[in-house]
Formats: sequence, C-alpha cells, structure tokens
Amino acid sequence: MKNISTSIPKIDGPEKIRGSSLYVDDIKIDNVLFAKTLRSSIAKGRIDSIVVPPLPRGVHFITAKDIPGKNRVKIIFDDMPVFAEHEVRYIGEPIGLLIGADKMEILNVMKQIKITYIETTPRFDFDESAIHYHYQKGCVKEAFDQAKKTITKTYETGYQEQAYIEPQGMIGMFEDNKVVLIGSIQCPYYAKNAVIETLACESESVRIIQSSVGGAFGGKEEFPSLLACQLAVAVQKIKQPIKLIYEREEDMEVTTKRHPSKTTLSASVDGDNRITAIRCHVGIDGGAYVGLSGVVLSRAMIASSGAYTIDNLEVDGDVYITNTVPTGAFRGFGAPQMKFAVEMFIHHVAKELNVDPFSFRMRHLAKQGDRTSTNGTFRDPIIMPAMIDLALKRSDYHEKAKKFASEDSFRGIGMSWFFHGCGFTGSGESKHINALVTLKKNRLNHVFVYVAAVDMGQGAKTVLTKIVAGVLDLPIESVTFDNPDTDFVPDSGPTVASRTTMIVGGLLARAAKKLKESWEEGCDQTVHERYVQPPEIEWDEETFQGDAYPAYSWGVNVVEVRVCKKTYHVDVEHAWSVYDVGKAIDERLVLGQADGGFIQGLAYGTIEVMECEKGKIRQKNMTDYIIPTTSDIPNMETHLIDNPYPLGPYGAKGVGELTLIGAAPAVALAIEMAIKREVTKIPVTPERIMEMIGYEDD
Amino acid sequence: MKTIEFILNGELVRVDDPLNTRLLDILRNRFKLVGTKEGCGEGECGACSVLIDHKVVNSCMVPLANVCGKTVMTIEGYRKTTRYNLLEEAFMNQGAVQCGFCTPGMIMATESLLHSNPHPSVEEIKIGLSGNLCRCTGYQMIIKAVLEASEKGAGLW
Amino acid sequence: MVKHCIPSNYKEALVKLNEEPYQLVAGGTDLMVQHRLWGGVPVDLMNHVLFLANLSELKSIQKQGKCLRIGAMMSLQDILNHPDTSSLLKKAIGEMASPGIRHIATLAGNIGNASPAGDGLVPLLLYDAFVVLESIDGTREVRIQDYIIGPRQTIRKQNELIREIVVPLKDFTNETFVKVGGRKADAISKVSFAGAARIEEGILKDIRFAFGAVYKTVVRSKEVEESLIGRTISELQTAIPTIKKKMDALIHPIDDQRSNKKYRRLVALNLLETFLKDLSL
Repeated sequence: MKNISTSIPKIDGPEKIRGSSLYVDDIKIDNVLFAKTLRSSIAKGRIDSIVVPPLPRGVHFITAKDIPGKNRVKIIFDDMPVFAEHEVRYIGEPIGLLIGADKMEILNVMKQIKITYIETTPRFDFDESAIHYHYQKGCVKEAFDQAKKTITKTYETGYQEQAYIEPQGMIGMFEDNKVVLIGSIQCPYYAKNAVIETLACESESVRIIQSSVGGAFGGKEEFPSLLACQLAVAVQKIKQPIKLIYEREEDMEVTTKRHPSKTTLSASVDGDNRITAIRCHVGIDGGAYVGLSGVVLSRAMIASSGAYTIDNLEVDGDVYITNTVPTGAFRGFGAPQMKFAVEMFIHHVAKELNVDPFSFRMRHLAKQGDRTSTNGTFRDPIIMPAMIDLALKRSDYHEKAKKFASEDSFRGIGMSWFFHGCGFTGSGESKHINALVTLKKNRLNHVFVYVAAVDMGQGAKTVLTKIVAGVLDLPIESVTFDNPDTDFVPDSGPTVASRTTMIVGGLLARAAKKLKESWEEGCDQTVHERYVQPPEIEWDEETFQGDAYPAYSWGVNVVEVRVCKKTYHVDVEHAWSVYDVGKAIDERLVLGQADGGFIQGLAYGTIEVMECEKGKIRQKNMTDYIIPTTSDIPNMETHLIDNPYPLGPYGAKGVGELTLIGAAPAVALAIEMAIKREVTKIPVTPERIMEMIGYEDD
Repeated sequence: MKTIEFILNGELVRVDDPLNTRLLDILRNRFKLVGTKEGCGEGECGACSVLIDHKVVNSCMVPLANVCGKTVMTIEGYRKTTRYNLLEEAFMNQGAVQCGFCTPGMIMATESLLHSNPHPSVEEIKIGLSGNLCRCTGYQMIIKAVLEASEKGAGLW
Repeated sequence: MVKHCIPSNYKEALVKLNEEPYQLVAGGTDLMVQHRLWGGVPVDLMNHVLFLANLSELKSIQKQGKCLRIGAMMSLQDILNHPDTSSLLKKAIGEMASPGIRHIATLAGNIGNASPAGDGLVPLLLYDAFVVLESIDGTREVRIQDYIIGPRQTIRKQNELIREIVVPLKDFTNETFVKVGGRKADAISKVSFAGAARIEEGILKDIRFAFGAVYKTVVRSKEVEESLIGRTISELQTAIPTIKKKMDALIHPIDDQRSNKKYRRLVALNLLETFLKDLSL
C-alpha cells in the first residue's frame, strides 16, 4: 500500500448492496417473543396505580420490580431509570415491557392496562439547572472595563433527530447461563457495563454482540444501554429469546436527540477593532434526565471561541432539566450548537463595527502555538489560511459576496470556519476509557483485529483493517475484522467522539508494529496495546484548564443560496468544502463522510424542525420530520488537504463529526446576505424568513 | 381464506395470509427475504422498495390482495442478474454505500428507473430516487453511481 | 367476522358492495399507513374490505371529445405517462409523493381520501372534473367539489364506487401549478396553487385559480373568476389587490406541525399574485 489514502473497495460494501448484511430485525430466531414498551402518557407526576388484567399464558409484564440490581442506566450521570417506578418525568418514559409470542395479543393486553397518575406541574423552560460549569482564560473583567465597544447577542438552535434509517432494536437471549444481547449499537461495552449494574451480576454473565448498524450518528451511543438493561431484566426472568424493535414513530418520540441550545455571547472590542474578550453563557436542554449532557455542555463550552484566538474568555454553561424527552449524543455533540453561535457572532460583531467580516475573522483566526480557549496549546500546524484560500478560489466567494450583498436578487453566499477536537473531551481517554486493542495471528499468518469499534456506515471496518494491513505490509485479505462481540474483543472504547481512526487506529498501528517486529512465521501470536496519554496533553477536569483534546481537525464550508421571494424556500445551489483531517486513511470513505455530514448539517440549519409542545413531540414520523431527499441536495465539491498529525496512524486525525459542524452557520450566513436580515436562530425555515422579512397584513 | 398467487423472484408462490397483510411482512416473515427493510412503515423512506411488474413500490403500503397475479422482485432475486452486477460495481466505485440500510431499496429504485429510462439525466435520477431516503451519504455518490452504471451498461437496460 | 374480498370482476364488485358496507381499497397507500398497528401485524382496516386495485375494467384512460376519462384504478404514474394527460395535471401529479407511491396510488384513492392537502385535487377542481359513481342501481355524475365535503368525507353512498374521473380539458394559454412543501420531493403540501387562463387578443376569456391545503377542501371561487371574464389584461393587473383581498377572505389556513397560518396565507396570496402578474407577460 503505497499511499494509505488511495481508496480500496469497502470491505462490507458488497454484502450491504446485495442485501445479505444482517441488521437486528433480520435475525430470525425460532420461538422468539416480541416486546412492546408501556409508556407514560404524562410529562410529570407520580404513578398512583398500574392495573394489569390477568395475563394470558405466555404473556409477561416486566417492570422495575423485576430488576435485581440498580434501576439506573449507567451512562455518565446515572440518573435515568431503566423502568420508571414511582414517578415519571417525560411523556413516553418507559414503565414496563409487555412480552409475548403474538403481537395482536400483546396489543390487546396493552389496551387493557390502566395507569393512574397524580399529575404535577411539568417544567418546560430553562429554569432548573442540573449542571453548571464555569471556566475562564486571562482576565475578562479588565478587558470589558477597557472596552471601546461591547456587543451582545443571543443565538438559538433547535432539536435535531438522528433519523437513522434503521430504527433502534435489540434481541435478548439467555444462553450458556449468560444474558446475550444482539443489537444496533455504537458502544458494546457501554451496554455491557450498564447491564452488569442493572443485573448486579458478574462480567462473564453478560455478552453483547453488534449486529449490522443501519446508521447511528450518536443516537445509538448511549440510548441502547437503556434497551439493553430492559431486555436483560426480561431475558433473565423469562429465559426465552425476546425481540425489541422500535417503530419509527416511537423512535422519533422517545429516543435521544440533539440538545436545543441558547447561547449568549458578549464581546469587548478595543480601539483597534480587535476582540479583546468574550463572555459566553450556553444553556442546553437536557430533557428529563442528565445522562451525558454534562459532556455535551463541556464540548460546547470549550468550542466557545470557535476557530479564533480570544485572549480573555469567561464561559458559563448550564444543563437545564425539563420534562421532555431526554436529549443525548448526536454527531458534533455540542459543537454544532456553539460553532453556529460563534460564527454568526463574529460576523455580527464585524457588521456592528462596520468592518469587513472576512478580514475581521482573518485577524482573529487561530494559529499554531496560540493558546486554546482552555489555555491549552494548538501544538500542530494549522493550515486554515491555505484551506480558506482554496475555498475562496473554488467558490469565487469575494466576487459573489460583493455582487449579492449589493443587489436585491435574494441570493447569498456564506462561509464558515471551524474545528473539531478529536477524541474524548479532556482526560476521558485515559481516566474513563483506557482503551485496549488486541491483534491475533494464526499459524496460517492470518491476522484478526479485536476491538470494540463499530462500523455504522462510516467505514471503520475498512479503515482499521487497512491500517493493520498497511503496517504489517500484508494484503487486505489477510486481515479479518468481525463485528465486535464482548466475549472476544477487549474494550477499546466507544465508537464516538471522532476517536476511532485516530485513537483506536493509532493503537492498532502500534500493535501491528509490535507484531511485525516480533513476527514468527507459522505461529500463533497475540499482541495487546493499551492507550497511553501523550505526556504533554494535560487536562484539569475541575477547572477546565489545559489541552481539552490531543488534536484538532479543521474545516471550511462555503454555501451559495437563492431564496425564493414568493415562498421563502431556500434553494441551496452549491457547496464547497475543504477539510484537514491529518491524513485520509481512505479518501473515498472520508469524502463520503464529507458529503453525508454536510447534508446533515445543512438540514440542521434549514429544514429539520422538531418542536416539543407541552412535552409532546409534534414531528414524530418521517412525513413530518423532514430530512433531505435526492432532490434537495446542492452540488457539493470537497477537497482534502494533508496535514499529518504525528501521533495519529499514518498522520490521521478525527473525521466523523467535523463534516457536520460547519454547514449550518455557512448556510445561515448565506441566507443573511440574501434576505439582508440578521439570522440568530436555526433552522432558518421559510416561515422564519417570512417573520424576519416582515410582511404587510392586508 | 383466499389463496393469493403471484410470481416472487421468478417462481410461482401461493400465500394464505390475510389479504390485508403488508407485502413487506409477507416477504420478510413468510419468505424470510430480509433484504427488504422496514425503515418507517409509512411509505416515506423507501427502504422497503421492491419491484412489482418492474416498477418500484413501497412494499410497506401494499396489501397482499394487490399482488395477486403480479410479478414481484426483491433484492434477492435481482442480485442474480447481470444488471445488478453492474450496479454493485458502480456503487462500490463511487462510494455510494455506507451503512447499507437504504441500499437494497436504492438498487431496486435504480432498476425501476433505468428500465423505463436507460440514460437518465441527473435531474431524472434525482426524481427516480426521490422516494428513497439516505441519511449517511448525502446522495451525491449514489447519483454518480447510477450515472456510471447507465453509461457502462449500454444495451443492458 | 371481517370479510376481505377481491372481486374477480367489476360486476361482482358492484354486487358485493350492494350486499353490505365495505371499506374500498385502491392502491392502499393512504389506508395501509393510516390503519397500521404494528409491523408484522396485518393492517386493521376495521370494516369489510373490498380490494379494487386489480379490476382491469377500471384501468383505462382515454380522451373522448374534449374530456379525459380516467379509470378509477389507473395509477398516478400511468396517468402521468399518458400523452393525453394535460400538462397541468402532469405537473401536479409529478410532484405528488414519490415514484414508489405513484406506481400504485390512484386518483380515485386520492379523491376518496379527501385530504385537505391532496395535490391531485387542486387541478381536478380547476377543470371542474367530476367522478362517475356506479352502483347496481346505475350511475351518476358528481362534480368533485360537491363530492368531497370535508377531510376524509365524501358523499359516496354505501353501495357506490368511483368508476371514472372525467376531466373536461380546456385550451389554456397560461397555466401554472405550484406546490410548496417542506422539501422538494416526497412532501405533504403546506400550500398548493393551480391557476389557468385563456387570453385572446388581450381579453380574458377564461380564468381559474384554486388553492390546496388552506382549508378543509380545495378553495376556488367561481364568483371571483366570473367577475374577471371579459376584462383586459391591464384591467386585471389593476384588480389584483381586490382579487387578493377577496380570496384572502375565503382561505382559512391553520397552524400545524408542518407550518403556520400566517405563512400559508401569505404564500397562497403571493402565488396568486404571481400568476395574475405573469398573465401580462
């Protein structure tokens, strides 16, 4: 393999195209039972009574009473119950599983179950903070005291639903004295560790197997742990195989989504038109339970200076608890919310100062050696100027910006600059994950990769196999990577945080190197490699100080739009992107992530509307929650520029989330130029554009 | 109970299930043909796409009664054809498959399109696949794959 | 005991329909989703069901004089592909749903479902199209605007079914159909608009316009249209604000999960204004 970036056939491509890849609902098991979830119909209150009719033979009702261990799903903040027992906190909260062999029978029994509640007043506004974080850099007070001008603005972002095409699902079985769970999951060990606590059992008593995953985007990061715990309890009691597959409406109403956010930014500007300090408050809606919202908040807060170097920063953040569906992981994990706010803000500040936004942004653009928002350092080269240059050339940005801004054509062009911190925020990698990978070689010199990384479409299987084969200088066919099964693979950590190529791939590269150096022809060999924190990367969790991430991937997006004057529909005509992901392990796969992430980010900024009214999700099916079709995409042009990261395998950094982050601010800025109004909220729907433009009532 | 006869992947089959059973369920549960997927159950996502008389339809919306006497083809039948091989090659070349859940449906919709229009424009491809949702790829590579297949497959469609 | 019946021919369908009430199923694209219970469980259509989709007698389409006679079980795609289908009808049908639905959905089903957002209904009402209903007692013709009385409500008698949709085609010099949805394909309309006119030597000989998704049924005002016949194009341009005001009073859009009433109202009237202004081009 001369150049690692040269694309190879996607390893699991043919089986997926032919339809022979098995997703969880495709797995047929004899005499399987079906499970349906009984859910709360109110947003807040106590469960007064649950009256269950006499159950027909073979029908089971599993509730909190059946839980041997903790009635808590182990996530990060363990506040979510496996089954609500005495109180409910959101519409749709699971109370129990009704299980049987005949679906019609289950539906009939479910109709007869009567729950009475004592309702209390639910909370929907941002007033109950469950987590508050604060950090600072430099001296903000002094900067504001000496400011020539202060500008403050507030930005809001809405829900986003992952809308993976394969709904959530899991199968539970009891085999060899173990609870075995097969599911559409990103993190086999998250699920395993959660089940162990809920069953209060030994590690050997739980086995998690990943089936083919039909899209995840973070939606199958922590949510499946809830399913796993529920099914594990049921399977352990009933000792028969059970299938729990969510219906689409159910999935949309009750599973985790992106946190809605409200961010207020204040900038102090000196006499030289330079931002000397920024004060930021970000509030995110955690829904009814905190779960991993604290980490989302952290990432959002750390992103508060965007692609810029701001010497003085004061950042506060809150996770608000409301009686709505719990929010959770979604590609970007707090960064899309904050990067939207910051990109818009820096533009709005420039406009208020009457200076050219482009030059204003260039002045503040971060450079190698600069201090990050948390007083870490951008150690590695930042090639943004070259990337921006390329994007400007390809899109003809300046010419168009001048033209569109000066005419009434309702056309606009917008550009966003952004980075994404690769890997777990802060000390998560060493303190919480402590990843371990294993390589095994057999006597036929065939190598097997043992990691817990999940290929959910992004191409992890191909990328990791390529890295191992590349280092060992073997043909791809000599290396095998099977879907992780916790009985066989070590915990190399969850498939999240854009860490799979860089961290897990990095460990595999080191393991492969070890194997190569100790290679014995025709012998069985095993090599392990455990994560070691690079010594210069230090992070203080309490004070949010130090290097939040070991590496950063960077991006530039340019979007050109035309807004219809009659319907305010936003036609996205072209998009240009330039990314620095260190080194593409497989160019075609990275470009695929670029296209897909970009469209998801674009839709986040324009058409994906999800509203929660008094705790009820209004857009709860594929008809009403709109994601793009083939007819909605612009022409996309993407360029990758190498900028190898010394500690990444072949120089690779993180990819998965970067490509979603910049689209929303880029399109919002383009719309701003087109309609000549300030955009502070996404999604920028035609209805919102109508409000912004104002109209005459007859 | 009426027996419904239809051609499934080239073979004559007989089914006694209730007439209001979804074709999708007949395929997946009665015939164990799990290549056709359920993504939404409301005819929006197209993951359940099959061919009925060579036209793409959402099998989650078709009652068993309506396939009486028809010819039904799923991905399992289609993948035995030369045209499929060309599509597979094009999808691989262009990076058109990521998680794969929408892919069998995309393939069936593509076959339906090329069957009636062997050399579609980009716009026509977009319309032809407009009923198949993909969340991973952003569609551009899928459209390029269809273009590649139609160019290379002169005479096949 | 719920009966599910596939009549072997059209006559049998009429006979059965006369014996007891049946839920009529054409393509199934609305009903199979509306009555879905759980994946894997047969859809609960609730009453006796008559499956009409395979009745070949209802699958014809032909031009008879100035009328297009569309058999009730013709699929939307087949109507779209037919050379005699007017461009206005094609425009509307082409934007409905997706190929996978158009291959099995029918206009009869669209009419029977009587959704306020039904795109096919807008041009049909513009043409003063009518349905031919048949029972064992005979046939009758009913204008679609009289046939549909509200969302999912029609005046079909228990023993009747739609045999044909008849569209009196007209020669228009100008026509337009605009669908405003949340995305460019596969969308439920927030607002839809159809407009058509015949202008001869600067005089308006015929003008019609109709709105979808802004009331319980399609909105069209023959009174307003008739008041414009005979006027010159420049007179029409001057009358635009008045026309808008009159139509504004007749539309009653709502707030729902897809859009809001302000937007629907503004866009509906914008589309009307654009259509009227374009007549002077």
